[in-house]
Amino acid sequence: MTDKPSRTDAPVKGSTVPMVKAEGVHKSFGPVEVLKGIDLEVKSGEVFCLIGPSGSGKSTFLRCINHLEKINAGRLYVDGELVGYRQKGDKLYELKDSEVALKRRDIGMVFQRFNLFPHMTAAENVIEAPVQVKGVNKAQARERAMQLLDRVGLADKAGNYPSQLSGGQQQRVAIARALAMDPKLMLFDEPTSALDPELVGDVLDVMRDLAESGMTMVVVTHEMGFAREVGDSLVFMDGGVVVESGNPRDVLTDPQHERTKAFLSKVL
Amino acid sequence: MTVDIDKTAGGPAGTPPAGPEAIKAIPVRHYGRYISAVIALALLAAVVYAFSQGKINWGAIPDYFFDDRILSGMGKTLLLTVLAMLIGVVGGILLAVMRLSKNPVTSSIAWFYIWFFRGTPVLVQLVVWFNLGLVFEYINLGPFYRDEWSDFMTPFLTALLGLGLNEAAYMAEICRAGLLAVDEGQTEAAHALGMSHAKTLRRIVVPQAMRVIVPPTGNEVINMLKTTSLVSVVQYSELFRVAQDIGQTSGAPAEMLFLAAAWYLLLTSVFSVGQYYLERYYARGASRQLPPTPWQKVKANVLSLSSRKGATA
Repeated sequence: MTDKPSRTDAPVKGSTVPMVKAEGVHKSFGPVEVLKGIDLEVKSGEVFCLIGPSGSGKSTFLRCINHLEKINAGRLYVDGELVGYRQKGDKLYELKDSEVALKRRDIGMVFQRFNLFPHMTAAENVIEAPVQVKGVNKAQARERAMQLLDRVGLADKAGNYPSQLSGGQQQRVAIARALAMDPKLMLFDEPTSALDPELVGDVLDVMRDLAESGMTMVVVTHEMGFAREVGDSLVFMDGGVVVESGNPRDVLTDPQHERTKAFLSKVL
Repeated sequence: MTVDIDKTAGGPAGTPPAGPEAIKAIPVRHYGRYISAVIALALLAAVVYAFSQGKINWGAIPDYFFDDRILSGMGKTLLLTVLAMLIGVVGGILLAVMRLSKNPVTSSIAWFYIWFFRGTPVLVQLVVWFNLGLVFEYINLGPFYRDEWSDFMTPFLTALLGLGLNEAAYMAEICRAGLLAVDEGQTEAAHALGMSHAKTLRRIVVPQAMRVIVPPTGNEVINMLKTTSLVSVVQYSELFRVAQDIGQTSGAPAEMLFLAAAWYLLLTSVFSVGQYYLERYYARGASRQLPPTPWQKVKANVLSLSSRKGATA
């Protein structure tokens, strides 16, 4: 931690309840078991990186956190509350769609393919959820949207449609859109994988800035540099299980498992 | 080498620096095109001549073109088109959502509806509606309404239900295609932001689906306008029936058919223009720059012409 003075206070800011807690999480798509028992803990305020080869289940796990995918076994908690279910005694009750939606408000998500709303301008994309979901009044939402777009360096692109923006710009608008809901947790699903190499830096800068502000972030990424520099914890997944975890600088420089070594030798 | 380039680029003093000399070549003569154009024009002239020499009293058409009966028939045609399309669009959206729903009962019902109404001719459906009194002798809505079927099913209602319910089946397939065309990532992004299913559909999916839905719907409107002429068989006095009636009393039956055709053509042309602007509206964000409207094209041409004149003068 000594090499990152700017974030030393961040992890203690939150309560002792972990932001995300997974206990034996299983997920199958039909006969294919994608997650075979994931146990991990994301502390409040930390940047948690998930790495691994494609097909290892890291994106699927991320999507389970905001219940875009239903888990088949195990328990998954966000901020101490069960994801997608309510427990009464020893029985589980599925949450109604509206209750799931209510919980998703607090979890921002950034997708690999941006998924900006193409029929809305950058500013309208950012305004949409606060106005439609939280009922914030339009003028207020617009003011906040302009602040957020300024924060990601795109104040001058507020009136542009996504098709008029580069990939890197679109992804930064997508981050602003997620931040507009004031989430307590941000999920990043390979946010730079669909970008030209020279545009990756801008997006990583925004994420670094976000990490420094103390946001809890779970990041699925292939950017080992980012993981080493900004990450507080790192998990290497393969074949639906956690192979190795720990401090990113330790895992990336001195991996203990053969599988991790093999993977890192290819990507580093 | 550099000296050479300097010479050609700079050129002698006074002449503008030019790139390579512009090509001035004699274009290939396409004699086949000239011949086919002449033949086509000749055929067209022959057809026009035949019609002008036929036993048709062309003068009768302008006499009746703005006849009160014709205008009221046209009004009824338009009313029927708009209302039947309204039933079609609302019913179509409902059926499309039903078909895409996870509930097997609603999706099967929607499938059955579409199967039935697309599988039977609309003309037959119209006549069946008219004669449904054989099945339902009375229509009884408790304390609100009670009447014999034949009194309840006026020509207008028959026409409206017949066309509208049939249209709903077609619109359902168009809407379904539109909804399916929207990327799933859009729904996921909206859900991840905490939007409900209904709001996601209304705010995110449907506006994008419209880009796919509008062009075929425009065709459906134009089709509907023409199909309304079928309801003359259930005694509804729309444009075609009125034209026929006038034709029989005025002794110019063929002329009145031409008159009706002209009106249909006029109305469909107006609708086509409306469709163009509607498509343009829903294309926003889909392409980097919207295509210019015809009016903008005319303005741009006029401007470039005048600026060229200014340059030469």
